[in-house]
Amino acid sequence: MSVSDAAARVEPGSFRDPGNRVFHRRGEVLRGLDERSAGDWRALAASDFFRDLLDAGKLCGTEELVPTPVDLPWAAVLRHERIPVVSHPYEWSGGMLRDAALLHLEILRSALVAGFTTKDGSAYNLQWRGASPVFIDVGSFEPARDGEPWAGYRQFCQTLLYPLLLQAHLGLDFQPWLRARIDGIEPDQMRRLFSGARRRHAGVLTHVHLHGALQARHAQASTSDVRAQLRDAGYSRELVLATARGLEKLVRRLDARPGPSHWSDYQRTCAYSVPDRSTKESFVDRAAAVTMPGLALDLGANDGRYARIAARHAEYVVAVEQDPTVVDVLYRALRDEGERRILPLVMDLADPSPGGGWRSVERAAFADRARSDLVLALALVHHLAIGRNVPLDAVLDQFATLTTPGGTLVVEFVHPEDPMARRLLANKPDGLFPDYRREAFEALLVARGRIVRRVELPSGTRTLYQVVIRG
Amino acid sequence: MTHLAYLDAGSGSLIVQAVVGGVAGAAVAVKLYWRRLMARFRRQPTDRS
Repeated sequence: MSVSDAAARVEPGSFRDPGNRVFHRRGEVLRGLDERSAGDWRALAASDFFRDLLDAGKLCGTEELVPTPVDLPWAAVLRHERIPVVSHPYEWSGGMLRDAALLHLEILRSALVAGFTTKDGSAYNLQWRGASPVFIDVGSFEPARDGEPWAGYRQFCQTLLYPLLLQAHLGLDFQPWLRARIDGIEPDQMRRLFSGARRRHAGVLTHVHLHGALQARHAQASTSDVRAQLRDAGYSRELVLATARGLEKLVRRLDARPGPSHWSDYQRTCAYSVPDRSTKESFVDRAAAVTMPGLALDLGANDGRYARIAARHAEYVVAVEQDPTVVDVLYRALRDEGERRILPLVMDLADPSPGGGWRSVERAAFADRARSDLVLALALVHHLAIGRNVPLDAVLDQFATLTTPGGTLVVEFVHPEDPMARRLLANKPDGLFPDYRREAFEALLVARGRIVRRVELPSGTRTLYQVVIRG
Repeated sequence: MTHLAYLDAGSGSLIVQAVVGGVAGAAVAVKLYWRRLMARFRRQPTDRS
């Protein structure tokens, strides 16, 4: 089925289940349902568990458009709450992925008790309101059929459980694995990583080795035959519940507390003087107060100090940081505070998330999701320009691209004489960056916008700029 | 009638759920394999003919 209305834009990430499709129209997020899915939706809408999950904020806000718009080719159309900024599981920290997995299992359990199930079990079923996960795939619910295991189990393993096992048991960052494979990590790959004594780690023998072995053994068997055989052998809904509970218990154990990392002590070790810091804080506060941004983006957010300042005036803030450990510490702090307006994300700004999946549009690139009214780039330029050899003009182009036309960029330039810049320059041949000068930087800023405020920090080796980016 | 989901759940991924479902699940798995084994023996004479 297709959306015929010219004003409707189909969400490119929503095509796997042909029974329902998400699209955008007149600023609203809508979901079209075919006859069968509309029937499932009406049963769901009448259930108590669905209402309870909605009221608890665990599901994205959903209501049916009544009457169904006649210009749309669907049996029913739902309107969803808008998620401020869509993020992908490979941009989440370990704690975020774990909490997302726990929410998915909680929702599955509540559904099963009420006679429903979820058709799938993907990490992409979840999004965030700040540091609070939310289940968005309302089209995933359907009435449970007796004697059938959970259809989403494999997806759950590949996109949620296995990444968590990698992180918790092997100390590997899972993000590159998920970014490279839209369907997650296959059991046979996991088996190779968890050979020998590693088999003894919690959850590995069954969910990895046995799962992989049975997949290989039954690769030719049709799932409908296997479903019928399982039903005949007495598989029951209680067993699906037991699986969900067992997974929940396992995921709770996979709580890899963040250890120390290079960036985790950055605020303490980066040698900011107290006057520098307070000057910077008031600069950011004033820029945010003047801009009153709908969306603010803090690039290189570290412990989130400036993201929090921006959040005093912004409706929503995305705090991007490349070190997963630092993001995890920030996430846990925000979560424990119940913060719902600051979203922490893992991302290397020299390698931001590209478009992924089918035709590279199924998962939108970061630049297409995060364009903001206010962009903070504090103590960042030297890391990209000197540390990663990105030309200064290209660094500023990226910042400008992430800023809405007419929006504000707050950027800090660390002079070549600054101790931090000197430390980075010491690792590179002399004279490699002749253009890394304040005058050259200012000229590049002027080419992209209007400098409305400039403050030199008391240390004398760092300058802050507030720039209105040209439309 | 068996209803198929839009997602290929994977035959092995369905069977392993019996095993991870505790004692009751393991009993289902044993029964499943016993029946498959019996079915194979029952089929054999006709296979040879």
